[in-house]
Amino acid sequence: MHDILRRAEPLTPPVPAASRGFGRLTLDVRQNLPAWKQAVFVGSSLILGLAISVAILAVAGIPPLTLASELAGVLTAENLRGVLIQAAPLILVGLGASLAFRIGFWNLGIEGQMIFGGIFAAAISIYDIGPPATRLLLMGMAAALGGGLWVLLVVFLKLRFRVNEIIATLLLNYVAMYFLFHLLYGAWQDSKTAFPQSTPFRPFERLTDIGYGVNSGLLIAIAGVLAAGWMIHLSRIGFYTRFIAANPRMAKVVGVPVRTATIWIIAISGACSGLAGFVNVASQEGRLTQSFANGYVFSGVLIAFLSRNDPIVVAIVGFLIAVLFITGQTLQVFYQIPFTMVQMIEAIIVMAVASSEFLIRHRIRWIR
Amino acid sequence: MIDFLVNWLANAPVTAVPYALAALGLIIAERSGVLNLTAEGLMLVGALAGAGTCLMLGGYPAVALVAAMVAASAVSLLFAVLVVVLRINQVIAGLSVVFFCQGFTGLVGTLAKWQNKQLTGLAPLKIWPLSEIPGIGRIFFQQDPIVYLTILIFFAVNFLLFRTMLGLRIRSVGENPGAADAAGVSVTLHRIFAIVAGSSLIGLAGGYISVVSVKLWVTGMTGGRGWIAVALVVFARWAPWPALAGALLFGCIEALIPQIAAAGIRVPQYLMLMTPYLATIAVMIWVGTKDSGITQEPGALGQPHVREERR
Repeated sequence: MHDILRRAEPLTPPVPAASRGFGRLTLDVRQNLPAWKQAVFVGSSLILGLAISVAILAVAGIPPLTLASELAGVLTAENLRGVLIQAAPLILVGLGASLAFRIGFWNLGIEGQMIFGGIFAAAISIYDIGPPATRLLLMGMAAALGGGLWVLLVVFLKLRFRVNEIIATLLLNYVAMYFLFHLLYGAWQDSKTAFPQSTPFRPFERLTDIGYGVNSGLLIAIAGVLAAGWMIHLSRIGFYTRFIAANPRMAKVVGVPVRTATIWIIAISGACSGLAGFVNVASQEGRLTQSFANGYVFSGVLIAFLSRNDPIVVAIVGFLIAVLFITGQTLQVFYQIPFTMVQMIEAIIVMAVASSEFLIRHRIRWIR
Repeated sequence: MIDFLVNWLANAPVTAVPYALAALGLIIAERSGVLNLTAEGLMLVGALAGAGTCLMLGGYPAVALVAAMVAASAVSLLFAVLVVVLRINQVIAGLSVVFFCQGFTGLVGTLAKWQNKQLTGLAPLKIWPLSEIPGIGRIFFQQDPIVYLTILIFFAVNFLLFRTMLGLRIRSVGENPGAADAAGVSVTLHRIFAIVAGSSLIGLAGGYISVVSVKLWVTGMTGGRGWIAVALVVFARWAPWPALAGALLFGCIEALIPQIAAAGIRVPQYLMLMTPYLATIAVMIWVGTKDSGITQEPGALGQPHVREERR
């Protein structure tokens, strides 16, 4: 009895937090952050990512000064033509990715859609369909159709069988690649050279320069940017897209045609990638090659991610990534750095910028 | 015909092991609630580390496989920090890691000149006298040690996940991190552990491809096997044994391709190479058609946990 009373008696006051060592880190969820602070966080993480990339390249045998001079070389007038040619397919895949991401569809089948765009366009050339005057137009339309159909296959699988589109689109890239190989090592092989390439397109089947060192492929990309910008910001389907992305159930209840709008947006996304394939084979390569779509999946993801799915910003980021591509090609030719290096840098940039989101959303505090 | 069957089935375990180990590694991570898409990249890291170690030491495939595990775990720490500590979108983080690994292994493999160099490989383990049974002996009792080790690993992981306190905590963190956190289980630590431990198995899968099965390093040699493993996890409903069965199925499909060519059956080569990917999609369709009210998917899969965030 006595014992129990004694033990209940002096309740020791809680130990003050400060004396418990160092205290602890906590996260506060921020409600909002002024735009300039967000820009600072994103900008500094971008710089950090680029610094890491430069450091890795330095270890790989490219000193930063050499890198800077190569970069300056890429931006000179004569090389700018190459950058602009490269920018066109990149902007188009960026548009394709951003449209799909806007509606919450992970379109990672950009390479497959590009390949089928290229195959459809090449088919028009190989089977000599239509008069020469409308040949390029027909090839472009066929390419858009090819890319669109290839992604619609996944849309069907997702809507009908609930197949995860991330895995389906990625796996179909391999299927498309082997189908391309099947054609290039078989029926469509260039009989003259016996290389796994199609016969070169005729002059009227190629995207030519329109003066000032600008390729007409870039016009297609710019038209795509304007069309997508109109669609997203001004048209009804753009409004539907924002509605569906915000709350698909609500959208459905108030009468938005959710299914139709989703299917159309994704089909247009695939068509953009198909067009990118067409631009690549008809301007840079001039024929169907084995590797014309290599390295575009993650480029599309990166461009869409950095531009926050805004078509106008896609054009700017696409141009910057084109500079990276051309620099990568230069390093490959002169320093034997494999082109996969470009993918690595792209991945580092995405990781760095995505990490800055953490600082934008949370405040880290030290509680004692 | 019998010869064809024996040749085919004797090769199936070798092609099945990478799928099995990678899927198992993914299951450990995803049971803790982390949507893990990194397998394709980490397998490449494992393959490169294994091949590189083998070339530098001039043999020692066992050491090479350990190096593959360590390397993949080390890279997976990056993923763990991105998704568990910094809580960035798990799809974006997974894709970034895959493409980072593709670029990085391509760079290192080329600069170190490890491309297309023959490796010694691992001798098969003959379980005498069972290995002398005609047919069956070749299929079941003359495989390399890793095939048998894989089965032991499956027993071990199954025990770990479903019979130990650690496994219970990992699964609780994946089902309901808020409740687990309230019960005093550290969400952060258990998720990081699950990612790193699972990734060591993914690295072993990659190392097995380069060191034991192909005996070469080629840039991008995993060729989408990591994505197939991701699909296998869905197919297996996040359970180890069905994953092993699925891996065997894909092993059989993959092993069939060279056998058909060797038997002199004329099939378009590149169309044959599509079969594993098309089979994966077929399997996913099959999963989708089944009436599945219960998907067995970990409750918090893909959701970052922030203690201070009210839901």
